[in-house]
Amino acid sequence: MKLLVAEDELKTGVYLQQGLTEAGFNVDRVMTGTDALQYALSEAYDLLILDVMMPGLDGWEVLRMVRAAGKDVPVLFLTARDGVEDRVKGLELGADDYLIKPFAFSELLARVRTLLRRGNTPPTQTTMKIADLEVDLMKRRSIRGGKRIDLTAKEFSLLELLLRRRGEVLPKSLIASQVWDMNFDSDTNVIEVAIRRLRAKIDDDFDLKLIHTARGMGYMMDAPE
Amino acid sequence: MKHLSLTARMSLMFMSAVIAVLTVAGLSFNMLSQHHFRMLDRQALVEKLESAKHILNKARGEASLSEELPQLRALLGAHQDLAATILTSDGAVLFSDPRAVEVPERFRRANEQSMWEWQNGQHMYRGMTAQISVADQPEPLTALLILDVTNHTHFFDTLQRWFWVGLIISALVSAALGWVVARSGLRPLRQVTRVATAMSARSLQERIPLEPVPLELQQLVLSFNAMLARLEEAFIRLSNFSADIAHELRTPLSNLMTHTEVVLSHKRDITAYEENLYSNLEELKRMSRMIDDMLFLAKADNGLITPEKTSIELADVVAKLFDYYHLLAEEHDIRLSVAGTGRVLGDRLMLDRVISNLLSNALRYTPKGKTISVLIRQTGDSIILSVENPGDTISSEHLEKLFDRFYRADPARREGNPSNAGLGLAITQSIIEAHKGRIWCTSVAGLTGFHIELPRPS
Repeated sequence: MKLLVAEDELKTGVYLQQGLTEAGFNVDRVMTGTDALQYALSEAYDLLILDVMMPGLDGWEVLRMVRAAGKDVPVLFLTARDGVEDRVKGLELGADDYLIKPFAFSELLARVRTLLRRGNTPPTQTTMKIADLEVDLMKRRSIRGGKRIDLTAKEFSLLELLLRRRGEVLPKSLIASQVWDMNFDSDTNVIEVAIRRLRAKIDDDFDLKLIHTARGMGYMMDAPE
Repeated sequence: MKHLSLTARMSLMFMSAVIAVLTVAGLSFNMLSQHHFRMLDRQALVEKLESAKHILNKARGEASLSEELPQLRALLGAHQDLAATILTSDGAVLFSDPRAVEVPERFRRANEQSMWEWQNGQHMYRGMTAQISVADQPEPLTALLILDVTNHTHFFDTLQRWFWVGLIISALVSAALGWVVARSGLRPLRQVTRVATAMSARSLQERIPLEPVPLELQQLVLSFNAMLARLEEAFIRLSNFSADIAHELRTPLSNLMTHTEVVLSHKRDITAYEENLYSNLEELKRMSRMIDDMLFLAKADNGLITPEKTSIELADVVAKLFDYYHLLAEEHDIRLSVAGTGRVLGDRLMLDRVISNLLSNALRYTPKGKTISVLIRQTGDSIILSVENPGDTISSEHLEKLFDRFYRADPARREGNPSNAGLGLAITQSIIEAHKGRIWCTSVAGLTGFHIELPRPS
């Protein structure tokens, strides 16, 4: 997967590049809007991450010209301005998502993965498997080590989310939004409690732990192949 | 008129009024006097004409007519401006006073009783014609009586000249008077201006004194003072807010700096560095959330929060939030209950956030084993949602300040609970206000309730 990061702030740009590279992406980094446009038009990227405020061309301009050139590569905006009109403008111009600075890197990574997954969704599976855990999405049933595990509806949704995005660190805000439709930051530790309960059912009786905590960032489900 | 000062305008208006009044008065006086003089002249002419008739009627024949002439002359001579001409029917002059002037031909045929007038050079005349029948004479005689009224004209000329002089002087004097009156009348206005000019961010507590201001300006001064009060309040709030921001950010920043420096001062194993970074991350996230919240409040202050208007069933929102919070409630052995329904127009995300804030707040302060109850009631024109929980009674001094930014009822909680920056209730309030609603808190006998009143959709 090839990504372009256009960010005029050197430190931010370098950290983004490092983080995304370590997450397994191939990342090009530019610092001006003009370079961003040139790169975006000459190379085939899977995703553009554009800062709105850049010298030369700003993010909007780059997006407009990229779209005008007939490229429908997904675009994620980074903006320090949290104005409704900014959002509307970006979405009207055809941006796919935006993040307001300061943002958590785990949040960015989760959004990047969502955008990259969009369009090439794998065929709908009805069963998923990780290590010795099997989940039947149709019957909403889960079995680990041959033993049936009873889950509440929300616990099952949480498990499904973690499974579908196996190997990804999911920030708490994303979990709250996907499972409970809570689309704002809540300063309570509901997600921690929910994960703890799910663990009690899925992991506690087994030596191989499937749910992992990325401290300060979120939770992840993974198992060695 | 647009750019003239108020004083100049008032002086001009004052002057125009005086000119108008004087002109009307002058014209009326002039017309009345003219009329009066005309009446006097007519009366004199009629009298003399009657006397002349009387004299001539006494005469018999040509001879006796000439006998009567001295009598006639004596009659007319008594009036120095009066002249007479008596003509026979064939136009011969029978009698003519030496002062008699050439009368235009047309007046010889003039109607009796109607007075005519004409101008000859500098002189102005009025006259009357009468046909006098004399005994023994086949045709009546024509008598013309002429009055020289030149001195009347002179009088009116003089009168008019002095009238114009008087008018100009009065106009100037009234303009000057108007200026003086306007200046003194507008003095309170200048005082208001002076205070307004001297106003700066530092002197917002100054007010314009109300006592010396005339009635007409009191409303202006009241509005101005009210504006100052609002400005002062907003300014104080803003300064406090800035100070609070600085303070609130300083604590986590100093934690970050100290911790990082301490860790770096010695070589450590990798877990120590990790530990430091994790701890820093938590601190940074807290700061980031605080900045988000403060930006939200700043936007709310500037009226930039514009809620969408979708129809929302509050009971549904509560049910969804209970779904989210019930895990936490179970952990603390707290029960959640909801009663009633109510539909409002509002922004789903914002109202979610409001009720979520109230619930998480209630969860924080409810003792184990108790119940948090949400009540939705409909009144005449509003929907009231109350979140009530048993807990320590909040004293009234704290109640008022609960919605203030960075306010915490318990100061000790400040550092202890990093997730609670003390902005939650302020945000809740600004959202409710953006929805044209009202929020308040009650706390009596161990039961604390937060109540939201939202307008009922029509």
